[in-house]
Amino acid sequence: MPRIEFSGVAKSYPDGTQAVVDLNLVVEDGELLCLLGPSGCGKSSTIRLLAGLEAVSEGMVLADGHRIDHLPPQARDCAMIFENYALYPHLTAFENVAMPLRARQLPAQEVERRVMEIARMLRIEPLMARRPSRLSGGEKQRVGVARALVREPAMFLMDEPLGHLEAYLRLELRAEIRRLQERLGITTIYVTHDQGEAAAVADRIAVMSAGRLQQVGSFLDLLDRPLNRFVAEFVGEPPMVFLPAHRMTADSLAVKGVQIRLSERLAAALCATDDCHLTLGVRPTDISIMMPAPERLNGEVVLVQSQGNHAIVGVDTSAGPATVVVPSGGRPAAGAIVGLVFESEALHLFDSAARSLLYSRGESGDG
Amino acid sequence: MTAARSRNKIPVERPRQPAGAWPIGALRYLVAAVFTGFCLFPFYIIVTTSLKTETNIFAWPPVWVFKPTLQSFYNALFVFGGRGAISYLVNSIMISAVSTFLAVTLGAMAAYGLARFSFAGNRQLAFWILSTRFAPPVAFVVPIYIMVQRARLLDSHIALILVYTAMNLSLVVWVLRGFFAEIPIEIEEAALVDGYSRLQIFWWVALPLVRPGLVSIAILSAIFSWNEFLYAMVLTQSRAATLPVYLAGFSNSMGLAWGEYMAVGTMAVLPILAFTFALQKHLVRGLTFGAVK
Repeated sequence: MPRIEFSGVAKSYPDGTQAVVDLNLVVEDGELLCLLGPSGCGKSSTIRLLAGLEAVSEGMVLADGHRIDHLPPQARDCAMIFENYALYPHLTAFENVAMPLRARQLPAQEVERRVMEIARMLRIEPLMARRPSRLSGGEKQRVGVARALVREPAMFLMDEPLGHLEAYLRLELRAEIRRLQERLGITTIYVTHDQGEAAAVADRIAVMSAGRLQQVGSFLDLLDRPLNRFVAEFVGEPPMVFLPAHRMTADSLAVKGVQIRLSERLAAALCATDDCHLTLGVRPTDISIMMPAPERLNGEVVLVQSQGNHAIVGVDTSAGPATVVVPSGGRPAAGAIVGLVFESEALHLFDSAARSLLYSRGESGDG
Repeated sequence: MTAARSRNKIPVERPRQPAGAWPIGALRYLVAAVFTGFCLFPFYIIVTTSLKTETNIFAWPPVWVFKPTLQSFYNALFVFGGRGAISYLVNSIMISAVSTFLAVTLGAMAAYGLARFSFAGNRQLAFWILSTRFAPPVAFVVPIYIMVQRARLLDSHIALILVYTAMNLSLVVWVLRGFFAEIPIEIEEAALVDGYSRLQIFWWVALPLVRPGLVSIAILSAIFSWNEFLYAMVLTQSRAATLPVYLAGFSNSMGLAWGEYMAVGTMAVLPILAFTFALQKHLVRGLTFGAVK
């Protein structure tokens, strides 16, 4: 299984759209890497470049150090799963799965054996005589997965494979995909816009926005140490709260005149920067609601959304809007004036435009 | 009490009767039957006349029940005037079949190219192909006659095959281009990734998916070639002449032998009828195409 490397890859379309900009990314041998981002961020383009369905405009795509970006798709040995399944409507499920083997002109018995083996693995044997029009969405995608796996490809590309499926099927199939991938050890790139899905299947997640790679890391890395505001907002639910702040003393910040004491390590990060104007980032789960007091950031509750065992509370503070996650029992009424208290160990410190991280939990340095 | 309860009851939607109970339904069938009968009656007369003896043809009042005979067919095909209809029938079948095959084959490839590859002038090329149908065929009779004559192809099968292929090609390209464009691109991308070349995809994936379109357009092309009269008349005399030419010349050379005339007419209509009936289910499938997701 190859190690895949994107080196300075860019893709622009004739109409001037820049789908991918200067992408440098390595997918390790046997790894499952998720490309995560909002729609139009270039994640689908990236795997289409790898599959050879689009030509790169700049840069190189390498597999085990060999350039593959000039090869036609059929020479790259990628298998792909499409969001809308892309099964051959005129063929039975069996023939759909057999197609990649027939392209390689395997003997009929070998085709039969391998198709049925993969069908057993995915539990779709009873469906093999049916046409795609007589399969449900989940069944279609299972056939799609079988078609991709049947020839033991060098890499496995999945473009929002579960996008069209119902929620319970998504949970089931994503576990199955992960299990198969681990068992077969195939280098896999998985595109999704759903962070829950990415967290569940991926070894590492690459977050993309507007054609640019923002950050690569495990889900916890992305949560605890987002490198910029985009990642901080996109990963983690509800999104991180950002408040403009400025330096007050050596170990405290002021948010709209309210003093926020910093932990020792955060204070060290503060010392390392010359900026006076900063942005404070806090996860809604790291804020608690108290009685209003002069030394607290106070605000009015404008929205309370119940989520079962917890509630998401929107608070309008003088420094800007904030979101707080509270246990259902302790939720305030809309219109109430409350004070916000931040978990001092869980604060994130960004520069004033929140373009880069200065400090995050679990990390001591200057970001 | 009962009234109050029934008022409170939620009205239940009854399954509706098939549109119109019996008087209206029967009326519809009656109108349809009259219309169909009106359309089919001339055809009925052609077929029955071809099966009657000469005495029965001119009998008055008309004979509705009679013992059919194939004598007129036999005469028309093999006996008549030393040169029967059989050679014209063979010409018609050959020219229609070959020109339809060529038009659909070449047209499908051109249509696939226009639908799937973006190259400079794609749209202009497609429009130019369509533009060859802007003028009525009669406008090109003289130039085409001169071209065929210069190529020494007058009264040859090749001349008619080329002309019919050219005439059908534009229609084939336009219809199939639409069908190919409707195939979701992901299906072909899946085939690319599965290891198929463009040509293999065209043959194993795209063509089977547009089969309803292929069948419909083949029927239309065949009907056109089979029925075409103007060019057949101008470009052929005897060796390569088709049935319509023969039919047109029927009356002046032989007087009018109605039985034989109608026998040739029947033979001219039947193949198209059979062809259409045989492929009808594909025609219907063509309408439901596109249910891929």
